[in-house]
Amino acid sequence: MSIHGQKDNAVVVLDHVFTAYEGAEHPTIRDLSLTIKQGEYVIIGGPNGAGKTTLLETINGMLPITHGKATICGMALAGDGVHVRQKVGYLIQNFAFSPLTPFTVRDVVMMGRYGGLGLFTRPGDADYRAAEEAMKSLGVEDMADIPIGQLSGGQQQKVLIAHNLAKNPRVLLLDEPFSNLDLFARERISHLLESLAKKGVTIIIVSHAFDDLPDRPIHILVMKNGTLIHDTTCAPGDVEAQVRKSSA
Amino acid sequence: MLEFLIQNNIVCHAVEAMLFASIACSVLAVVITQINISSIGFTMAHAAFAGAAVGIFFSINATLAAILAGLIVAVLLGPLSERAKISPDTALGVMFGMTMAIAIFFIAYMQSLGRGFDASGLMFGDVVSLFREEIYGLAVISIVTILFIIIFYKEITAIIFNQKIAEAAGIRVRPVYYAMLFMIALTVALCINIIGGLLLYVWLVTPAAIAVQFCNSIKQMFIVAPIIGAIVSVSGALTGLEYGLPVSPLTAVLFSILFAAAIILSPRRRISMRKE
Repeated sequence: MSIHGQKDNAVVVLDHVFTAYEGAEHPTIRDLSLTIKQGEYVIIGGPNGAGKTTLLETINGMLPITHGKATICGMALAGDGVHVRQKVGYLIQNFAFSPLTPFTVRDVVMMGRYGGLGLFTRPGDADYRAAEEAMKSLGVEDMADIPIGQLSGGQQQKVLIAHNLAKNPRVLLLDEPFSNLDLFARERISHLLESLAKKGVTIIIVSHAFDDLPDRPIHILVMKNGTLIHDTTCAPGDVEAQVRKSSA
Repeated sequence: MLEFLIQNNIVCHAVEAMLFASIACSVLAVVITQINISSIGFTMAHAAFAGAAVGIFFSINATLAAILAGLIVAVLLGPLSERAKISPDTALGVMFGMTMAIAIFFIAYMQSLGRGFDASGLMFGDVVSLFREEIYGLAVISIVTILFIIIFYKEITAIIFNQKIAEAAGIRVRPVYYAMLFMIALTVALCINIIGGLLLYVWLVTPAAIAVQFCNSIKQMFIVAPIIGAIVSVSGALTGLEYGLPVSPLTAVLFSILFAAAIILSPRRRISMRKE
């Protein structure tokens, strides 16, 4: 047991963390402490502008921590955070690719492996196999040679999830992963995330939609004005009520 | 190097210079156009132009001065837009205006001093009065550019695809990005005497703009763009020298005609009329 009473299997530990965007006068996240354990399924809720996406980018080290301490996958988050990002997948929100983008689905999924390889190392057979498996798990293997810009928004979303799965992340951060997806794709991805959580991958999702949650305890974090106002675990059927109640 | 193919020394040197300059520029054109940093290429071309003018004024090696000016722009660009809280586009606009003003100031001042400086070579290029060392320099930079792309291929392609996704994937984006700017600055400075500061931009954009009309993957673009650049540039050099036409402007026009044709013929813009 250590700070905030977390057990040794904690994969995300934030201890009184402040985060600020470059050039901003005020911190975007203020005095935030939380612990997330391995294999947990976490939903981050809250109103627009509450700091949900900022929290994800703090966890993966893309934003500088101005005060406090963060430990992700056992590594202290310091410097440019590149080592943390090699273990943490992050599906960004709001992307758009031109139809003339010269990258095929296979290219994009393979890029998920690049960070872990480091400079000067070329992808090997294991990397290509991991990319193929990731494409199969999302059902995009038949599109492997199609330029990503020629796919629909939902298909592009699946390709980017496959890109993140290809790196075999210990923590998977997803910003609105179900937007753009049709009913079947949502079900497929929901089942996939549940199976990943069962295998010990920690799933952290920013979402406004609470359908398709797995039948398991859900860890809820509710943000407001850059602070964490609610941190609890409940049944999937109670998530929406919990988020509504605490956001009100 | 190509004397066994072209007997005339002047034509041979011109063809060699255009060949190597076009390979280096076209490879970098893929990076420039796909990251949407065409303004950077444009500004660096003018920075090199200003550097060369300053170098000539102070009797320093013009190529070295051009390299230095390009590097200064590369180094200033990131911090200027990040720390001064202005958009990269505005930072580039300011730097472009500044470099152009410096170049024109020194050229005009030298002319007013009666130093008989002819700036047309710097502005529009001069393929016939190159030193052998300059051609060797171009050969080296074209090889270095290709090696740079091969060595950092995975990082460069990930950055081209999407910088934020590349960063999230754990790729060290910033050092590779600045290395790319450094390569652009170096190439631009070495090519300015051949192609000219005002026309270099065509070489840094158009070969890739043509290639993307026919290529489905970035790997194909890195192969097709320099081939297009080399064929058009060598054709421009041979035609210009044969008929006594200015080589760089002629080649720039050829690039533009080919780009228009590529847009019309591009299979990636065609609408399929098939029913199955």
